[in-house]
Amino acid sequence: MSIVVIGLSHRTSPVELRERFAFAENRIPDVLRKLRGDGLATEAVILSTCNRVELYIATPNEPAQAVFDLKSFLASVQAQPMPDGNELYTLHEPHSVHHLFKVACGLDSMVLGETEILGQLKKAYDLALQSGHTGARLNKAFQGAFNVAKKVRTETNIQRGSISVASVAVELAEKIFSTLEGHEVMVIGAGDTSEKTARALLSRGAKSIVVANRSYERAEVLAKDLGGRAVKFDDWSQEFDKVDIAISSTAAPHHILDTAKLEPIMKLRRNRPLLLIDIAVPRDIDPEVNHLDNVYLYNVDDLQTIANDYLIQRKDEIAKCEKIIEEKAKPLLNRDAGYVASCAKNSPETLQA
Amino acid sequence: MGVDWLTGNGSDRHLFLLAVILYGVSMIYSVFLWRKGFRRDDRVNFFLLLGAFIFHSSALFQRGFSFNRCPVNNLFEMMMFFTWTTTIACLSMGLMPKLRFIGAFASPVLFAVGVFALMPSLDPPHGDKPVFSGGMESLHAATIMLAYGLFGLCAAASAMFLTQQHNLKFDKLRAALSFMPSIERLDKVATRLALAGFILLTIGLAAGGQLPHRESVSYWKETKVLWSAFLWLLYVGLLFCRMRGIVTGRRFAFGLIAVFVFLVLTFWGTHLLSVLHQP
Repeated sequence: MSIVVIGLSHRTSPVELRERFAFAENRIPDVLRKLRGDGLATEAVILSTCNRVELYIATPNEPAQAVFDLKSFLASVQAQPMPDGNELYTLHEPHSVHHLFKVACGLDSMVLGETEILGQLKKAYDLALQSGHTGARLNKAFQGAFNVAKKVRTETNIQRGSISVASVAVELAEKIFSTLEGHEVMVIGAGDTSEKTARALLSRGAKSIVVANRSYERAEVLAKDLGGRAVKFDDWSQEFDKVDIAISSTAAPHHILDTAKLEPIMKLRRNRPLLLIDIAVPRDIDPEVNHLDNVYLYNVDDLQTIANDYLIQRKDEIAKCEKIIEEKAKPLLNRDAGYVASCAKNSPETLQA
Repeated sequence: MGVDWLTGNGSDRHLFLLAVILYGVSMIYSVFLWRKGFRRDDRVNFFLLLGAFIFHSSALFQRGFSFNRCPVNNLFEMMMFFTWTTTIACLSMGLMPKLRFIGAFASPVLFAVGVFALMPSLDPPHGDKPVFSGGMESLHAATIMLAYGLFGLCAAASAMFLTQQHNLKFDKLRAALSFMPSIERLDKVATRLALAGFILLTIGLAAGGQLPHRESVSYWKETKVLWSAFLWLLYVGLLFCRMRGIVTGRRFAFGLIAVFVFLVLTFWGTHLLSVLHQP
């Protein structure tokens, strides 16, 4: 009995195709039942996320035959024509087990090393386990995958650092403030990145958001959305002594904040640290303010450089992760090879012979 | 007790020497950590300091048990006690992963003071009665040495603050990749250590004021008393300005380091000039 994987992911197919083959969670137990009922698999797990749809099965059938059957099954159960190109991939042992381990470790994710996929994989496995669609083969493979993911997380830096501008901003904020709880954030100019950054800061405990935008209506909408309050654009500097983090992304052609403007505000703030995130191009904040004591200024290049470096670091860790995966998969595949051999020895055909 | 390296009499000094060697190794290792930018949690330095602490404690206890009182009777013993309190505070804070690197900042001070303390002339034989004997004397000397230890650690936390603050402003990638705590936390740690050290210094000085002194010595003209009062005022001033928000962040950190450097550089001189503190 070997493990076979069939699926499509962000690497091989666009979202328009992936959404056609995605499974709603409440449908999965029925699909698994049908898959086993049709004799296509002895054990099965379906992983369906926004970035991938994958069927993991354990089958006594020949891998080539199993793949052919699974393709037909997938097309019929989703009532979709089979993709013509290489969008759909199929893997059998040992590649299927390696693939499962890589998915668990986030090595096959859109954001390299992300951990959300591990939770999704555990959920998919639990769903199959609770419905009784897994057995010794997939149980061992999935438990192995979870162990590998844990080992990779503790022994490598694949998950270290943030690789988006918004999360780098949060990380830097946490290098300045011991906690973001109780700190007020101001958004000057309601752009997309500033909104994402504000949301990321809120998710880490920031107290509240003040939004200032040239269009007051837009400021109100965003403030409502973020659970904060809007202020008139001309009044933003009056609120500045209360905030600890400011994200600026206006379309102003000149600096809206400079040393002369900030120095008296810092006195009012009794020199508490102030984090300024300037994601506007052209820049909103005069770089000279970074020389003021207790003021920390980051522009979009600073944040992007850090994000890129983290990504390079993560990529450097891939070889280390693959080595761990190789080591952990080997005993599982060897043991299962023995298991397959013993099954073959004890199969009815062998016994009759 | 004289310095006798060949017989067992100086074995506490041997143990202290081993501790100082480990502080030196820790200091060299810290240079590598610094160059790498403190990028990942590192326990090597912690264990080097732990090893040094074991030798250091053995030396201190051996010396203390030989007199049956707190070993703060001459400059060698004082420095040994002061560095010991710094190490124990470093190790306690090092249990928290984010503050583990404080040892890397403290080890150069521990090594430098340790090497100086080992100068034979700083460890003269005691007379029949050590300088600091009796409960109040021990309290006076021990609390002041504890205070100095905390001031040393406070300076190390301030150096950490300045390093991380500089990186956050001008070497942003290094700051992001470093494993050091937030500067707000470092500022809090430094302030609390300074406050704790200040309280101990106040208790120590108050205890010292209760001690009987020779008629011939004018208490308020005594070098060590004046120096201690000045040191106390420096810390009062710094802490007051910090609480009022007048001196914060970088300036406060520089202030704490400057006062500690002043303490270390002038401690021996004022001690040797002090009539009250001579046997």
